[in-house]
Amino acid sequence: MKTIAVIFGGQSTEHDVSIVTALASVIKPLELTKKFHVEPVYIAKDGSWYWDKKLKDIKFYQSGEIEDYVKKAAKTHILFDNGLTLVKSSQFAGRKQYKKIDLVFPAMHGTHGEDGELMGILEMANVPYVGCNVPSSVIAMDKILAKQVTESAKIPSTPWTWFYSDELAHGSDKILKRINSLKYPLFVKPAHLGSSIGITRVTAKDQLMNALEVASHYDDKVIVEQGVENLVEATLPIMGNENPVPALLEEPLLKSEDFFDFETKYMQGGKKGTGKNAGAKASGSQGYSRIPADLPKDLYKAAEELGLNVYKSTGCRGIARVDMLVDTKAKKVMFNEINPLPGGLYAHNWNKAGISNVELVSKLIDYAEEAWQKKQKLATAFSTNYLKQF
Amino acid sequence: MQLVVDSLLTNYQKQGSGKKVIIMIHGWADKLQTFDELTSDLAKKYTVYRMDLPGFGQTQAPNEPWGLDEYVMFIDEFNKKLKINHVHAYIGHSNGCAVLVRGFSNNKIKSDKLILLAAAGIRNKNKLKKLGIKAIAKTGKAATFWVPRDQKQKLQKKLYGTVGSDMLVAPHLKETFKKTVMQDVQSDAARILADTLIIYGMKDSATPNEFGDIYHNLIKNSKLVKVDDAGHMLHHHQPEKTAKIVEDFL
Repeated sequence: MKTIAVIFGGQSTEHDVSIVTALASVIKPLELTKKFHVEPVYIAKDGSWYWDKKLKDIKFYQSGEIEDYVKKAAKTHILFDNGLTLVKSSQFAGRKQYKKIDLVFPAMHGTHGEDGELMGILEMANVPYVGCNVPSSVIAMDKILAKQVTESAKIPSTPWTWFYSDELAHGSDKILKRINSLKYPLFVKPAHLGSSIGITRVTAKDQLMNALEVASHYDDKVIVEQGVENLVEATLPIMGNENPVPALLEEPLLKSEDFFDFETKYMQGGKKGTGKNAGAKASGSQGYSRIPADLPKDLYKAAEELGLNVYKSTGCRGIARVDMLVDTKAKKVMFNEINPLPGGLYAHNWNKAGISNVELVSKLIDYAEEAWQKKQKLATAFSTNYLKQF
Repeated sequence: MQLVVDSLLTNYQKQGSGKKVIIMIHGWADKLQTFDELTSDLAKKYTVYRMDLPGFGQTQAPNEPWGLDEYVMFIDEFNKKLKINHVHAYIGHSNGCAVLVRGFSNNKIKSDKLILLAAAGIRNKNKLKKLGIKAIAKTGKAATFWVPRDQKQKLQKKLYGTVGSDMLVAPHLKETFKKTVMQDVQSDAARILADTLIIYGMKDSATPNEFGDIYHNLIKNSKLVKVDDAGHMLHHHQPEKTAKIVEDFL
């Protein structure tokens, strides 16, 4: 039986979301396969690692026991031994416990996890892992980089600009001049954060500066995007490596003046929207949405194609979700964002597409092993007599 | 909604679209939602702003211990950021009132009307209690130094509990608590000229209704109302009655 480490938590504003993804959408279905030993690895808010069977229980976090646990429990180390081994001190005379890991399932959201940092460690350890690799995670988690890469692949998006947060501290004139070319409403976003944290919808010029400051408070890069008229938002979960397959196009049910902020997504089950459809059929783990999206066939097809193009052009593998903006009058689909590890793996959507949670995690493991096998075929050594000449 | 005030990420809400502005200031270890019931009525007629004060709710905690003056400066800065030039009324609760009384006395905070719900800030009446807090704050840590960790918090809770301290409700703001709880605002109250409504619950044990008499005597243009069957959280215990008294005054 293979041993899979599920890594979650982390130093991110989405720490708690990651716990739910790991416990409900990854560990539980993995155990149901009865094919794997599952080792939960929790990264605390201070960045310390813990590995313990106890960490699989959601009540442990809900009750606040986790706070005491991290004060007392032995921290976990990782050993690179042409693979990955978890190491921690046992309670018996300082003896150490070791656990060789065959595959890692990252269940991290946001900074220091979903953004490629964790993937870097896993690449160094040469252990197979689920999901996007280092470059695609970096691109996907930087909204600015993602726009630049997709633009170079001729994938359309709404007009946008960006700036370094430091620039704002040194005067806003140049930034405001760049933003002036965009039409209101605007969306001001921290470049690297997910779950809509730090995002402000700006409808008038006098609100702009406050929104820029809030986004700058969260991130070193800020993106400002022009809102889309006659908007239908659509999101497409995709999985696979070279030949990715889409799930169903999903449409969050919100009026154009609303948007999914953190509160709406995770705290209220998407019930905040005041749109005419708010309060209609529930479906997603992150709120109210329509699956499949109610779009004319041609637009649905165009969105599906655009989503797959984004996935491929940014080098995603394993799993990701592509968010798009659809102008229904102009019949235009535009790229918005990529999420390299969608919350809860977007299992609710895959379920509707006929893929159960167990099948979903099993497929993701197959993709991880396929990608790792492919990497093993690449030459990493090159013989020279350089040292002898030195 | 969020805003950066004094370099702190600040959570606030704006409701209603009336011409007149009302700003609500919550108490120690509370958050803006404490005014939910009161806001739903007032927002029909006024524009109501509520914020989580630094260290509470979803607003970042200050990096250094704050006293009442720092909280006053924060409110002033909040208004400047949102370009709120004229405030019709401030409504405070508990320690939020102490902040407002300090702000009104030095003209950093101004409005046509001021409403104090179960106002804190009268510290001299509890001199023994105050000294107790001071002593426990100083010795509590030392006294429990040798106690095993799992017992330590229980014992500290007991020690602090004997002096009725709110310190453990927000342990991350221990120093700020010590600083604010030592600040009496009776002399500040005497300088307030705005029309002021003072409301207390008859069953309030945290800020006894006798405090209302003191404030009423100190604030020249004030009106005092005492609400039966209500404690310190009178706006929760008697929401309709409290709202009616507030609306009539406004």
